[in-house]
Amino acid sequence: MTKSFYTLKKEFLLIARDVHAVTVLFVMPAVFIMIMSLAMRDLFDLHHSVSIDVLAVNRDAGNKSDAFLKAIEKLPAFRFHPLDKDAATERIGEAMHSRGVKFALIIKENFSSSIEKGRGQEVKKPIELLVDPSVNVQTQMVLRSALDGKLAKLKGDTFLDSIEPFLGAAGIDKEELKATEDSQVAVHYIYKGGRSFKIPSAVQQSVPAWLVFSMFFIVIPLSNTFISERGQGTLMRLKSMNVSRLALIAGKMVPYLFINAIQAVVMIGIGVYVVPFFGGTALTLGNSLGGLILIAFSVSFCAIALALLIASVARTTEQATTIGGVLNIIFGALGGIMVPRFVMPGFMQDLSLLSPMSWGLEGFLDIFLRNGSASDPLPESLSLLILGGAMLILTIILLRRQKEV
Amino acid sequence: MRPFRNLVICYGAPLIKIEHLCKSYDRKIVLDDVNLSVRRGSIMGLLGPNGAGKTTLISILTGVIGMDSGKITVGGFDLGRDPGSIQALCSYVPQTLAFYTRLSARENLEYFGSLWGLKGKKLKERMGFCIDAGSLQAFVGKRVDTFSGGMKRRLNLAIGLLNEPEILYLDEPTVGVDAQSRNYILETIRKINRERKTTIIYTSHYMDEIEQVSDEIAVIDEGRIILHEEKQTILTHANAVLLGAGQRGVEAVKTLQPREGIRIEKERIHIERDERFSENMAAVFAVFRDRGVRVDDMVSGHRTLEEFFLRLTNDRLRDEN
Repeated sequence: MTKSFYTLKKEFLLIARDVHAVTVLFVMPAVFIMIMSLAMRDLFDLHHSVSIDVLAVNRDAGNKSDAFLKAIEKLPAFRFHPLDKDAATERIGEAMHSRGVKFALIIKENFSSSIEKGRGQEVKKPIELLVDPSVNVQTQMVLRSALDGKLAKLKGDTFLDSIEPFLGAAGIDKEELKATEDSQVAVHYIYKGGRSFKIPSAVQQSVPAWLVFSMFFIVIPLSNTFISERGQGTLMRLKSMNVSRLALIAGKMVPYLFINAIQAVVMIGIGVYVVPFFGGTALTLGNSLGGLILIAFSVSFCAIALALLIASVARTTEQATTIGGVLNIIFGALGGIMVPRFVMPGFMQDLSLLSPMSWGLEGFLDIFLRNGSASDPLPESLSLLILGGAMLILTIILLRRQKEV
Repeated sequence: MRPFRNLVICYGAPLIKIEHLCKSYDRKIVLDDVNLSVRRGSIMGLLGPNGAGKTTLISILTGVIGMDSGKITVGGFDLGRDPGSIQALCSYVPQTLAFYTRLSARENLEYFGSLWGLKGKKLKERMGFCIDAGSLQAFVGKRVDTFSGGMKRRLNLAIGLLNEPEILYLDEPTVGVDAQSRNYILETIRKINRERKTTIIYTSHYMDEIEQVSDEIAVIDEGRIILHEEKQTILTHANAVLLGAGQRGVEAVKTLQPREGIRIEKERIHIERDERFSENMAAVFAVFRDRGVRVDDMVSGHRTLEEFFLRLTNDRLRDEN
């Protein structure tokens, strides 16, 4: 017990007093989670029913604009906030900036008359849209399409009202014609591999992605400590104290499992509490604590085994830092950390399965996004544990061959 | 309970016995049929040029690496069969600074002490002893990376004393330290040996250190023990009287050659202080008298251990590969 306590204490102190390690393990992922969750919010929100706020100014005195406003209020992706009809364009712009709203819709004075007039008689466009330049074109297009759709429907309905006597004479029910408002297009996401799939929000993608990335980044401090111990003769001293090779490895694994666990708690905490504070959506944790622990442990085990393998191969800390850093970045780029897997083309999605970070990320998404149970991340966990075990065996074989350890 | 404590202490009996020890790396022979025994309670200086096999020998004795063949017994335990029991008796202080520089001296001592199975009051007691032994009282809470070279060396030694070892292996414990720290370390080593009867195996490149602290000296070269004697015996052998009597003196002494105990080196006549010393001195002075040679100077020469060592190992450079 005393041995374990002082071994844990030693490793924690070594990490806590290493500014670079603290930066890599805690500061870097925290900053990435914040930046990515906020910067990519709108991009990810395109896939969700999260409302985008729009200021609405109705300058039209006719009844068609009221009908139009009622219709667009039903749009699931947008939330309209009415402003005073006399508000000047300049004031609307100020309101957009002060409220952090990206769009403002102005229904012009000629709206009702332009609806009631037939096609070809329009002089001025009846709707004006003010857009914050930071909004991406896709989001803008979504709103424009939605408004155009509602406008077309309103024009259609007005036309049907105007020919109502003829429709009655022909035995056609006008209300039946009007009812076909909902989209007739059914959308299904097709995901490589055929498993059930939901698009994550920015925070649901960022937290597990950068958590997995940072957990794997322990390869740098861990392998550096191990190589320093070997170079300084500390491992020889420990071996002369009858500390077995297995105990040496366990003495590294257990403290770093704790450090990874602390990373997981801190990063999830940032996703749940800090990101919403800055205007992002809060991370939802799913319902399986057991599943969360299982996938976090598996990622940690695999990362530690990789670190020990690198430490046994590299001769200097510089070599370990280079090998570890490069491997992590490749695993991250490939594994959907930097670029989400669902936006990758098919062959890249296949290729991403080679990265253990991709397994870890999918495991976390099973819990956070798909409300999975403890058994859901089991395939990913098993893959990580098997790979970690294989790397650990290789490490022991390599260490046996080295006379220093 | 440590079984070694039950043995009858008999100073002078071999505590470590090495028989026909061989070790090679990648087909290169590093230790070749090494035979050596170390008396209980003695300080043995282990000398050897770079790459001679000193560190390999100590690494095998401390159980860090295995041997290819041979037999080593320590305190009656067979290293091949019971390395754990032997390791419990020993402590190894490597020539590198084998501790954690981002920790304080206290945190290092706590960690290594806990690995020896020390805890609670006993751990504190041993730490206190080691802090005193290393004269680290004023710096014990400070991070080691702020220490001077001498303080780091003292901490390296202090960690090696945590388990009250019966046998202490010191691999160049004074490398790179100032004269004060060096003197302190040597004093501490002598004190530990004197007060606790700890057997010490000591390697160093500083011959004066070896001469100062050792009771016995072993010289290893190219993987073989080429000399193992009591220090006093070696130094006695090394003693000689040097006579300067010019070319005529040299010619006169040549008439006595070959004669054991008399050598001619660069117009100087060396007469070894051995059992034939008086007889040789008389013979030399007799031949001088007969030939009318005058003695210009006479020095009671003391060949240093270093000179002796260089002669023994053939002077040539040994670059490790």
